[in-house]
Amino acid sequence: MDRDRLYRADAIVLRRRNIGDADSIFTLFAADRGRFDAVARGVRKARSKMRGHLEPLTRVRVLVAKGRSLDILTQAETLEAYRPLRDDLDLGAEALYCAELVDRFTVEANGQHDVFDSFTRVLDALATGAPRHVVRSFELALMALSGFDLQLGACAHCGGSLPGESILLSAPAGGFVCMGCRGQSGGGRLVSRRCAAVLRFARDAPIETFGQVQVDEALARELRAALADVIHHVLDREPSSAQFIDDVRRAPAQLSP
Amino acid sequence: MLRVPEHEAAELASAILDVKQKIRFCSICLNITESDPCSFCRDESRDAGLICVVEQPLDIIALDRAAAFKGRYHVLHGCLNPLEGLGPDQIHVRELLTRVKEGQVREVIMATNPSLEGEATAMYVQRLLSPLGVRVTRLARGLPSGADLEYIDDVTLARALEGRQDL
Repeated sequence: MDRDRLYRADAIVLRRRNIGDADSIFTLFAADRGRFDAVARGVRKARSKMRGHLEPLTRVRVLVAKGRSLDILTQAETLEAYRPLRDDLDLGAEALYCAELVDRFTVEANGQHDVFDSFTRVLDALATGAPRHVVRSFELALMALSGFDLQLGACAHCGGSLPGESILLSAPAGGFVCMGCRGQSGGGRLVSRRCAAVLRFARDAPIETFGQVQVDEALARELRAALADVIHHVLDREPSSAQFIDDVRRAPAQLSP
Repeated sequence: MLRVPEHEAAELASAILDVKQKIRFCSICLNITESDPCSFCRDESRDAGLICVVEQPLDIIALDRAAAFKGRYHVLHGCLNPLEGLGPDQIHVRELLTRVKEGQVREVIMATNPSLEGEATAMYVQRLLSPLGVRVTRLARGLPSGADLEYIDDVTLARALEGRQDL
């Protein structure tokens, strides 16, 4: 095969869609290529050599042939399988949520080294036992790298100082809003002083450092709800895997009559 | 279609109509069938205390071909795939829960695909059924017959090692 038609990429598998009897289209995310789709022929057959290497949430080295409409995966080798994310339903749900965010926030054929770095670090953190609230740090990093950096130090509207307690986090305004600007903020969610402080730290600290912060259940819920509002506003929809996190958490009680 | 004889076109049209009119879901296991309940659920020689849960009706054909299972089936018609918007309400988990709650079931065998989504579905069902005290098992995962060891991915190899057996 013409070597110009081949390229190699270290990527993370974001999602898989089955087509035909035995083929699948994979969406991958690579540091130097951004998000890209490629088809793997015959990958669903038991004898396929690539099958196990292309599971979602696997970091792989792939060899891809450029195709007319869709590139073709010709080789795949696992670099990191993130096995703990496959063996724990709650961790897997969080990791899939991160994968969906990457899928929705990034664009095709555009190198995004910082996003790739953040994504691998949050997967590494989740897989090595970090608490699940590290995902908040990833959300903030991903938004900042995608041009939606939240203004958390001063009023996003006027630049003025913020109140000490019950601070309005306004997605339309792009951050915290002072008392005087609340009327023009376009709505939002009131967060506690503790939540505001943790959000600031989560944005500024490395994911691994934020993972060492003690966050109780109530604060974790508040942090998640606050950023869910912002992400919903930016994406104009709730990521479908966000609901899945709740579904698995409530599983035993969920389907009782 | 323009070149085929008229009677062949009529047969094809009739076959498509038959599919629409005669094929339905079994009210017990949700397999596709012409008669309700399906042949597997009617078969008294099959163990009603064992339920094998599969993603698709075609999986039943594959399992039955292996002739190693003599229990009943349950078809989920999909698996949990949050990125495609498939949650517990989009697959037939509720019907499985109802069957297990009726009390006759001793063991539920999760035969969903050994993919990330299939594993998530198996773990979810296990979590859902655990309060009912029913045994939930998973098909063994490991090396396929005729495979080359050098091409096997790390997760499959690790699980094959964990599931090793005395010779």
